[in-house]
Amino acid sequence: MGRLLESSSKQLLAQNAIPVPRSFVAASPLEAREKAGLLGGEVVLKALVPVGKRGKAGAIKFAGNPAMAGELAAQVLGTVVRHYPVEKILVEEKLAIERELFVSFTIDKKLRRHAVLVSSAGGIDVEEISAKYPERMKIIHIDPYKGLADFRAKEVWADLGLEGTVLRQASDILLKLYRFFVKYDCTILEINPLAITKDNKVIAAASVMAVDDSAMFRHPELADAVQVGSDRAWRPLTDLEKQVVEVNEADPYRGTARYTEMDGGDIGFMCGGGGASLMMFDALLSYGGKPANYTEFGGNPSEKKVYGLVIGILSKPGVRGLVVCGNITNNTQVDVCSRGIVAAIKDKGIDPRKFPVLVRYAGVNDAVGREVFTAAGIEYYGEEITMTMAAKKMVEKMKQTYPGAEDSQAAHGA
Amino acid sequence: MGILIDRNSRIVIQGITGREASMVTRHMLAYGTPVVAGVTPGKKGEQVFGVPVYDTLKQACRAHELNTALIYVPPAFVLDAVLETLANGIKLMVIITENIPQHDAVKLLMEADNAGARVIGPNTVGVINPKERARLGAIGGDNVERCFVPGCVGVISRSGGMTAETSYMVKRAGLGVSTAIGIGGDSLIGSTPRDLLALFENDRETRAVVTFSEPGTSFEEDTAEFIMEGGFTKPLISYIAGKFTESMPEGTMFGHAGAIIEGGKGKPSNKARALREAGAHVVEQYDDIVSTLQSLRLG
Repeated sequence: MGRLLESSSKQLLAQNAIPVPRSFVAASPLEAREKAGLLGGEVVLKALVPVGKRGKAGAIKFAGNPAMAGELAAQVLGTVVRHYPVEKILVEEKLAIERELFVSFTIDKKLRRHAVLVSSAGGIDVEEISAKYPERMKIIHIDPYKGLADFRAKEVWADLGLEGTVLRQASDILLKLYRFFVKYDCTILEINPLAITKDNKVIAAASVMAVDDSAMFRHPELADAVQVGSDRAWRPLTDLEKQVVEVNEADPYRGTARYTEMDGGDIGFMCGGGGASLMMFDALLSYGGKPANYTEFGGNPSEKKVYGLVIGILSKPGVRGLVVCGNITNNTQVDVCSRGIVAAIKDKGIDPRKFPVLVRYAGVNDAVGREVFTAAGIEYYGEEITMTMAAKKMVEKMKQTYPGAEDSQAAHGA
Repeated sequence: MGILIDRNSRIVIQGITGREASMVTRHMLAYGTPVVAGVTPGKKGEQVFGVPVYDTLKQACRAHELNTALIYVPPAFVLDAVLETLANGIKLMVIITENIPQHDAVKLLMEADNAGARVIGPNTVGVINPKERARLGAIGGDNVERCFVPGCVGVISRSGGMTAETSYMVKRAGLGVSTAIGIGGDSLIGSTPRDLLALFENDRETRAVVTFSEPGTSFEEDTAEFIMEGGFTKPLISYIAGKFTESMPEGTMFGHAGAIIEGGKGKPSNKARALREAGAHVVEQYDDIVSTLQSLRLG
């Protein structure tokens, strides 16, 4: 899933004839003031960060005049909203809103249909709508081949009490939004609120949009706007994470490597396989281990890629041990990986007699892998021990190497 | 016996001339699996380890009797390959391809449902039936017996790698596998654990099933419901990975694309509770699969 900033999604909505408020992007208080002047009247300032519920985070402000817009922009720019620094803001005309509606398109994974949730209670989040106003909410499931019929769009709004010109506009917008959702391979498209203004215009006042990463090959036009992989982290990538992304992309055709930094921790964590990494992380925690990162690799990566990954893992401050683990591989070559791992350990100047390193990695060509690790003085296991046993051994090894470490950390904590 | 595939399967591989597909063809043939034909548009007349290649599935179906398709085509072409498979009346397909657009996955799963066809995957390592020496996909690699020996335990796993590791745990318990299935790591997949448990229930060879689950989806909750309804009556041993993700910010993905907790749904703790209430053996540590299997005295 790749999220888009609201400025980008609104631009796309406008290009597809869906009415949105007039707006500009500003990167400084001065610019915000200028743009507010161009818009005239009251404006809304919204932090451009790829996260939801910005109102609750204080990242949406209202200004009565350009001077105030400049002042408020100064308050918002440079702050951090849900881990994301605010570098730009959206300066938007403030609509004179009479009523608020809600529209959200998603893929219903269970029913395997497109789904749209519409409500005549907009401006609040969906959890609140379903808790407080279930009768003002409708869900339509859509056959992707048949699409959304005009009459269904009219029916749903009419059932929710819309009439006249507003009913016609809202129906037209709902149909356009569905076509938009399909056209751009959206995983989510949420308009909240879909505003009805005092002069009876229906306008998409706020938008949340994410595009399927796997469909980006057919949307080159969105390359700059979509933040691919934005659901693999809950904050912007750290420098080390960026470094590993580069390592991964340098050789896109052989293997994948994903690296996420955890807060604190002292065990470098490197695991082969998506499921294996989830299992192994739990196992380490269960024995009192503290992984410093979450790293998953697979798909038979090259030696160079594995090397770059291990360098990244070992470069995080506070890492003083390394566990390499994987399920018994179906196609990833253990010998190739072993060379990359050993080279990285060597280049980092690590002595495995002093710095705990433990490997449990069986599978294709593991006889050679065993030789490579053993020759480098690294504690190696194949399938003779299970992954759980490896997790336990690693935690014990850490405790033996750094006796009393927990006590001193506890002392620091106190 | 076992489920889905056996020595009478008549298999066609779509995208057979690709690098990975041709390697897998070699491994499947070496294991004794009946790969009958392959399809790659523009490569009619070629052979992949003796398997004849056709331009279209229609041509392959004219020349051979086929009942199972293994799909290895690139992500952009999977939807079309599935439509081609359905148009030619093949009712079982395994989709190996990863990174299929979700909007395509919705369409292909819906069309397969409408045609009454069964889909395994996408994003799966494949299926294996060791007693029948039948395998579809990279599952087992070049050393099948290391993890997969014949026996009475069914294995269902979200993760391809953990399909092998879990089957290896079955072997460590002194038992073997009736059929092992990697169901795929995406949130939009064809056959769910519930669907497969229905097949295992009717398989005489299978006396217990082990499942490897991950965060995300409602598969385990659905399984629990199925057990409560009496749809699956054999012992079920379940391990749910990724407990730590519950304490991470919601909406963050770890591991597979489908392993994501959203809107409070998909939490491992809820899955474990539902399965326990239904009477499944939910193990805390992965290694407990071995002792739990042994305690069932299936051997």
